[in-house]
Amino acid sequence: MNGFMAGDLGGALATWVAALVTIGVWSYVVGARRIFVLLQYLLAGLATGYLVLLAIHDVLVPRLVTPLVTSPRDHLLLVPALVLACLLIGASWLPRRAVAPATAILVGGISAYALGGAVIGTILPQMAAALPAGGAGSPDLASELLALVITTLVLLSFLHGAPRAALTAQAASLGRWLLIGGIGGWLGFLIVSRLSLLVDRVGFLLANWLTVLR
Amino acid sequence: MLRRSAPALLLLLLAGAWLVPQRPGDTTLRLASSDRSHVDQLLSAVGDLPINAMVLVACDADLGTYPEIRAATRALLADLAAHGDRTAMVSYTPEGRAIAAAERDRIARAGGTPPLDLGFVSGSEAGLVRGIASILPAATTGVLADEIRKRGGGIGAFDLVVVISGSDLSARSWVEQVGARLPKLKLAAIAPTFLDPELEPYLGSGQLVALLATLREGVGYAEAIGGDAVAGPASTPAPLPMLVGMLVALAALGEAALRRTGRVRTAAGRRPS
Repeated sequence: MNGFMAGDLGGALATWVAALVTIGVWSYVVGARRIFVLLQYLLAGLATGYLVLLAIHDVLVPRLVTPLVTSPRDHLLLVPALVLACLLIGASWLPRRAVAPATAILVGGISAYALGGAVIGTILPQMAAALPAGGAGSPDLASELLALVITTLVLLSFLHGAPRAALTAQAASLGRWLLIGGIGGWLGFLIVSRLSLLVDRVGFLLANWLTVLR
Repeated sequence: MLRRSAPALLLLLLAGAWLVPQRPGDTTLRLASSDRSHVDQLLSAVGDLPINAMVLVACDADLGTYPEIRAATRALLADLAAHGDRTAMVSYTPEGRAIAAAERDRIARAGGTPPLDLGFVSGSEAGLVRGIASILPAATTGVLADEIRKRGGGIGAFDLVVVISGSDLSARSWVEQVGARLPKLKLAAIAPTFLDPELEPYLGSGQLVALLATLREGVGYAEAIGGDAVAGPASTPAPLPMLVGMLVALAALGEAALRRTGRVRTAAGRRPS
């Protein structure tokens, strides 16, 4: 049971809707594509409506409109933010030269956060963690060296197009097989994961909707 | 004919396997991982917290994969409540916000005290960085809100952050944006399986203090906390339908491999000498 539905009339109604929609989605496997497409539209519409409500209720009103209306002098920085937001909203009607700076600021800001975070938070600490740190007497030395060798071989397999000596080509080939093995193992886990989602839906129909308990 | 009706047959098989009752205490089929190292890490991360610790649960799961980590998330919330920790919930993705609201609602319906609601924060990674300075909405009041304000009002006010990860914003973003700026803050994560290869290196490097990123680890953790008693009846997938499903998947893979082998042999036989 997912425990999300209350025991009242609203909960019962929600359970029925969820059950019928689940069966509607599954009808795709027996060829009823129209129902599936209709439910996709329903999901897209609901998601968009929810996003709009969330943006208005949790972002625009409390973080932009209210501060600007109640104490505009304390929130002067919100004025350019409002202008940028208006530019992005009207992007399809405004000339490109007016919209481009707002878009550039947005894309540049997002990229800077992502790139800076990736270098400081991932690449440097992971490089440090990949180096054998325990010295010759470390009990983890063998596994650390193995991880280093596997990482090097897999990285070599990404040397596409570069001229390679016979030994490097063999190492790259081995790296490619190691990569395929790793992806295979991960896909095995992924099948179990997706299967659990299907079993959860079956359980929902039997336990929540048909109230058949094991 | 069999190929066309295979999906419907699979559903029937799973339903049949789901209905087979499992005797209480029967350990013939167990879904929980026998390797308890990841489970123990999360238990320690919560257990080692000081009295009256403040924990932030960042709920950014996906609606599509949340059932996989639902039991572990509920077990975590129950574990935090049992330890007397003061918990707050925040979301940086719309789907995570919907799940957080539903979980808070479920706890309130069950008679418990839901975590403090810090709402939805827009801006994705930029929002995360902004949260370091201030994560508390202006209108939020209460004892925990006052305590957060007293400790600076940002993410650093918390003793532990547990990230319920999804595809849009995973624990990786927290490690990169928050962990890099607040190195003393403990970060833990619960994530669906597809994020395991992405997050496991952070556990190895110590940037995450705990990580549950496979179904079997999540089930193991939920069982360690109290199983269905805390996560709700039948909240974890039953082992028998999982076994049946995996056997069907293996059979499908074997059949595809045999068909391919046969096709390759036929093509080789037809090749002109």
